[in-house]
This record gives sequence, C-alpha cells and structure tokens, in this order.
Amino acid sequence: MTDPRWVGRSYETAPYQVTEQSIRDYMAAVGDLRDEGELVAPPTYAMVYGFDAYWQLWSDQEVALDVAHLVHGEQQFRFHRAVKPGDRIRTTGRLTAINTRGDMELVTFELNARDDEDRPVSDGEALFIIRKP
Amino acid sequence: MKTVTAAQEFEKIHTGQSLPSLTKHVTVEQIRQYAEASGDRNPIHLDETFARSAGLPGVIAHGMLTMAFANQMVTDWLGDRSLLKRLQGRFAGMVLPEDDVTCSGTVVSKHPQTRHVVINLVVVNQRGEKVLNKGVAEAEFPPQRSETHAA
Repeated sequence: MTDPRWVGRSYETAPYQVTEQSIRDYMAAVGDLRDEGELVAPPTYAMVYGFDAYWQLWSDQEVALDVAHLVHGEQQFRFHRAVKPGDRIRTTGRLTAINTRGDMELVTFELNARDDEDRPVSDGEALFIIRKP
Repeated sequence: MKTVTAAQEFEKIHTGQSLPSLTKHVTVEQIRQYAEASGDRNPIHLDETFARSAGLPGVIAHGMLTMAFANQMVTDWLGDRSLLKRLQGRFAGMVLPEDDVTCSGTVVSKHPQTRHVVINLVVVNQRGEKVLNKGVAEAEFPPQRSETHAA
C-alpha cells in the first residue's frame, strides 16, 4: 500500500517545446493522418507534452508506486485550446488521492498544462490501478 | 492531391446520430512506435517477459493508444481537431497485439445556446468485449457568423 501521506505531492515538467516533427511522429504512431490544412495536434497529444509529469510520479522513489503492477484505469481531459508547432507547454501533475477497492489500489493524478503566457492549454485526470501481486 | 476535409456543421447534427465507426488493427510495431512518440516506455508495453512476470498475458497496448483511436473517430467526424473540448473514458479491458478494435459513438445531446454537443463513446475488440467504456466527448462549435441581410 502506498503511503497516503504523499497525497498532495506535485511534479512539474520542464517546458515542452512542441515541434512539427513531434506532432507528426505522434500522428503516425496512432495512425491519425487526416490533413486539415494547418497542422494542429490531435488533442490526446496532451500525453506527449505532459508525459514527464506521469514519469516523475512513477519513478518517485519516496512514493514508490508499484509500477510493475500499475495499469492506466481511466483518463479525462479538457482541452482549452489547440496545440500547434512553436507552443511551449509546462504540465503540473498532482497526486490527489490514494484509495483501495478490494485488492486494488486506486491512485488519482491531476494534470494542468499551461503555455508560456500562463494560459491554460489542457487539464486532465488519470486514475491508475495497482493490482496487488 | 491532398484533400482537406470540411468541418462538420453544428446545424446539421442531431441527437441520436451515430458517428462513422473506426476500426484499427493493433500490432507490436504500432505499440513500439507509440512508446517512442509518447515517451511511455513502460516495459509492460514493450517487454514480453516482463509483461508476463507482471501477471499479464503478454505485452499490452497503452490505454492512451485506445483513447487516441476514440479521439480520431470523433475528430474525423468533426473535420476539425480544435473543436474537441473534452474526452474521457475508462480502460475496461486490455488491448493485445493483433486485436482489432472498433470505436463507435452516438450524439446524446445538442445545446444550441452554447453550441456544443455531447457524444457517448465505446471501443470494443473483435470479440465484442469493451476495452474502453464510459467514454464521453464534447465538441464546441464557434459562434455562428451573423446573417447578412439586406437592410
């Protein structure tokens, strides 16, 4: 069981520089290649610019989540504006809850992404499920 | 020649309408490519031995790859990625290499005042088992241009 005293701990990513290549790599990986004229990232690209926040949580040795038994259970996003090449985005992730349900542990992680002018880009909430071995 | 799709028109959408479904065949190569593009190189997605030792049937696709498919189904229909304002879902089942997953969606409400629509989403595998449920997307359309009437 993860120690509930870590609820409230937060992680901030370095500014993520959005490039045309990074958007195109993501679109190729998921197979979403439709041309809209101007290049706009698929909204779920939020996982790319925000990923380091997830990574910091998963690799935090003090919190010590059992990542070998962790799966992504749920995800929600709100998208405040389109993301384009040239954007610089910082994401803050915050561990907001640790609960148990049966033999599973449920970890809630909130995300807020903002641009260089501190305007909101997207918000998210992930629920991770840790199955007890 | 490149074809640029036209954006969906808010006025033409109606409650109960189904979105064109989208089917994707998932491969080990695509999971690797997604790991590289997203940065998520968790070994449960890449290392067969590790995945089995973690109690899984083998490597599994990232949940967010499944959500990216649902995202694509909605934005293919919208014709404009910037209209999507909300997306959520529960990863109800594992997606394994060689699975065929089909995304479908239905417009459940339309709000003329705020010019947004709510869509319920589900993703199933080739056996009809849900791999994403409780899926919801919301799209918001820009204000209607004022009609130009002759005075």
